[in-house]
Amino acid sequence: VITALDRTLAELAGIIGAESVAAGEATCAAFAVDGKAPRLVAYPTSAEQVAEVLRYASQERLAVIPLRNGTKLAVGNPPHEYDIALSVKQMNRVWHYEPADLTVSVEPGMKFGDFRLFVGKDGLWLPLNPAGGESASLGGIVAANATGSYRCHYGTPRDMVLGMKIATTEGKVIKSGGRVVKNVAGYDITKLLIGSFGTLGVIVEISFKLFPTPAEHATFILTAGTLDKARQIRRALQQSPILPLRTALLDTCSMEFLKKAVQSEDQPGSCQVWIEVGGTKRVLERCSAELGKIAAGTGEAMRNQERDERTESVWRKIDEPHADVRTNADDWLLKVSVPVATVEEYLIRANRDLRRPEHFWRCWADPLGGIVRLWLHSTPEPAGVEEVVLKLRSFAEEFGGSLVVEIAPADGKARVDAWGAAGDDFEVMRKLKDAWDPNHILSPGRFIGEL
Amino acid sequence: MRTKPSSLAQKLMRLVGTDAVLWQPEDLMLYEYDALSSLRQPDAVAFPTTTDQVVAIVRLAAREKMPVIARGAGTGLSGGAVMPEGGILVGFSRMKKILEIDLENQRARVQPGVVNLDLSLAVSDQGYFYAPDPSSQKACTLGGNVAENSGGPHTLAYGVTTNHVLGLEVVLPNGEVIHTGATHCGRPGYDLTGLIVGSEGTLGIVTEIIVRLMRKPEAVKTLLAVYDRVFDATRTVATITARGITPAALEMMDGFTLRAVEDATHAGYPKDSAAVLLIEIEGLREGVEEEADQIESVCRENHARNVRRAKTNEERELLWRGRKNAFGAMGRISPSFYVQDGVIPRTRLPEMLEFIAAVEQSYELKIGNIFHAGDGNLHPLIMFDSRDEGQHQRVLKAATEIMKKCVEMGGSITGEHGVGMEKNELMPLIFSPDDLDAMRKVKSVFNPEGTFNPAKLLPTGKMCGELRLQVSAGGPA
Repeated sequence: VITALDRTLAELAGIIGAESVAAGEATCAAFAVDGKAPRLVAYPTSAEQVAEVLRYASQERLAVIPLRNGTKLAVGNPPHEYDIALSVKQMNRVWHYEPADLTVSVEPGMKFGDFRLFVGKDGLWLPLNPAGGESASLGGIVAANATGSYRCHYGTPRDMVLGMKIATTEGKVIKSGGRVVKNVAGYDITKLLIGSFGTLGVIVEISFKLFPTPAEHATFILTAGTLDKARQIRRALQQSPILPLRTALLDTCSMEFLKKAVQSEDQPGSCQVWIEVGGTKRVLERCSAELGKIAAGTGEAMRNQERDERTESVWRKIDEPHADVRTNADDWLLKVSVPVATVEEYLIRANRDLRRPEHFWRCWADPLGGIVRLWLHSTPEPAGVEEVVLKLRSFAEEFGGSLVVEIAPADGKARVDAWGAAGDDFEVMRKLKDAWDPNHILSPGRFIGEL
Repeated sequence: MRTKPSSLAQKLMRLVGTDAVLWQPEDLMLYEYDALSSLRQPDAVAFPTTTDQVVAIVRLAAREKMPVIARGAGTGLSGGAVMPEGGILVGFSRMKKILEIDLENQRARVQPGVVNLDLSLAVSDQGYFYAPDPSSQKACTLGGNVAENSGGPHTLAYGVTTNHVLGLEVVLPNGEVIHTGATHCGRPGYDLTGLIVGSEGTLGIVTEIIVRLMRKPEAVKTLLAVYDRVFDATRTVATITARGITPAALEMMDGFTLRAVEDATHAGYPKDSAAVLLIEIEGLREGVEEEADQIESVCRENHARNVRRAKTNEERELLWRGRKNAFGAMGRISPSFYVQDGVIPRTRLPEMLEFIAAVEQSYELKIGNIFHAGDGNLHPLIMFDSRDEGQHQRVLKAATEIMKKCVEMGGSITGEHGVGMEKNELMPLIFSPDDLDAMRKVKSVFNPEGTFNPAKLLPTGKMCGELRLQVSAGGPA
């Protein structure tokens, strides 16, 4: 008996080669999204093959989720359907690299860590610290517009992508933008794909603008007795002439989480503001002096943290708590975006009104980037957390912001939308989805408004 | 003698008031060109003061099946704000309020008619500025900047308009109003803001803009490097980029251009030189000093005859006035000129300059060169007399050759001036039919009837692979 699966497998093998298609329960289980496993896995080796797979899937109404290492697959609503995991694992080539021009064009499967080493040898970098860190793929980073603590200084992938090639559900490979730093020819379809979480097309090549690495980095820690003090420090920082590379606001409960790395000698109950600056020695000396003034002005202590593995590991955990957050358990990881001026107020209200003793509760913030992160669960009463998450979301909305659920337990996802309510521009988004993916085969149901 | 308003004008008057509509041919004449002239005038011009009025105008146009175009100051260089098929032109000169300034969040909410420089001036005393600075910033509007995704000299360090726009209020061709983006950066959903910025009025009419404001740097240093050979200047640019030094601005002018500028502005450019680089560095005092030294030594390694640092703010402003008024200065020496806008990888600048010199010779034309060199964004200025049909044809051919060379080098046919109706037929040089279909698909979502800014940006298929020539003389850009 030839099953439908056998037929699909054979037809896909006909398109991209038998060696590039896999099925089997164990294989597919590794690609499960929100508990749902695909029926088969495709490993195309070129942009054209990706396009062919999409054309076939669209024609056969098979749901496809593009991925690589799955570092961001927890983000989003459960897929409506899921037939094919489309892994870009085999697409790691560098098509173009011009270090003197600070530009590079790569395939989406290249891992961030490999890329870092590749451009790092020429003193260049892509100043991002995405979830998944070194094992995040460039395609995934762009599809999720994934940033991290460098966002306030360098922006997001949106500010670094010069152009891309996209495989469409029509089976075409199209180009948008280019590989020069300034370009206004045609619609900026690149922007449309960045942050679209694999729902419009599959990114098959990306051109980035690269940045020179700062000569030196230094991390300074300012203690703050309270979140009110932390706000004063943030405001002083905004008024000072220095432009930090990144900042983090850690309150007691997050320091608990970072305890081993922080090893704080400050009195318990205080917050810390971590500030990293970059530049030449003279610039760093000046930054140190300016930060010293801020500390003195707010009556708080400052120390210059050694640039060692411990410091790095704190920064890493700030950006990538994902490794510690238990997926498929009761853990929730939330990303709240609010206007910068309200970051501390948000933390104050969340801690005061929503934190309960029985909750595991960790929160920390990027004060200059306007991001608050929360990691919570509750062992005695897991369901109670949902209500808290919804309240956290309505707080964010009151502040003019939004809350995205990055990791959640399966039953939690069934009741709390990952993205929150859409705005009056949703109808246009829906029409764009219909135009680019008329049969809704790409990550169906996963994006905002279940697109 | 004043004629009776057309029936369209009367309908518009009922929507926006009798003093807010133009319909007489002599008034409409002013709206038949930006840097490009259109063969047709708009049928009427309306000046709304609110989003509701814009909606009403758009609905009227939809009923009458008429084209609609938004226009700010008309400083555009690619014909984006003219009406080749007639229709209703929506003038934004009465929607020029800065609605909100929120310094702690470094945001401002503005109406599209606000002049670019006015926003920076409004927050300057508090130590802030709006970064994108097109050379026409004294006149051009933020709405126009959004439509064209405008650049400017300082976008080298700060990015172009799209990097500074966070949210938009947009009227769609069916009269619906949508709000894209937000004041904060993390709103989920497709990045419609990023798509609409640079869409040249073909997707929607923007009625409100949320922009990012930046802190003014503590220190600014402006250097003028003077060269006896153009090649040395272009090699300096490539070296600065390759060494990972990012100045705030890095501009180049060749001898022909700087002499014209010097005669007009007396900015202090040495008239016997072959090229100058105008370099600006911003940031912390300590960093700026070190970078200035670094850049100066790169200039000298590449045989700069002289490197001058502006000693006073007046001296700095004068140097910049020369640069920003360069296009205007050309009007003094040529009856017409055609400003091109191409982009190449920065490493290819020396080669490109040699190519342009060869084109200049083979077509017997005079070409001045003024570049946002640090971005690889070229503005060759081709001098001609529009009354001379032979010259006119040679200019078109020369410009097309330069564009093709940009594409061949891996660049683009426009870096900041837009496609409009100047280069829409050149789009197939860089985009395949499939690429263009994907763009059409996007357009049809927003503007299915094609009534918003028709015959722009995408090829019409009527003229294959040809440029449309700008014939205005002067005006900043």
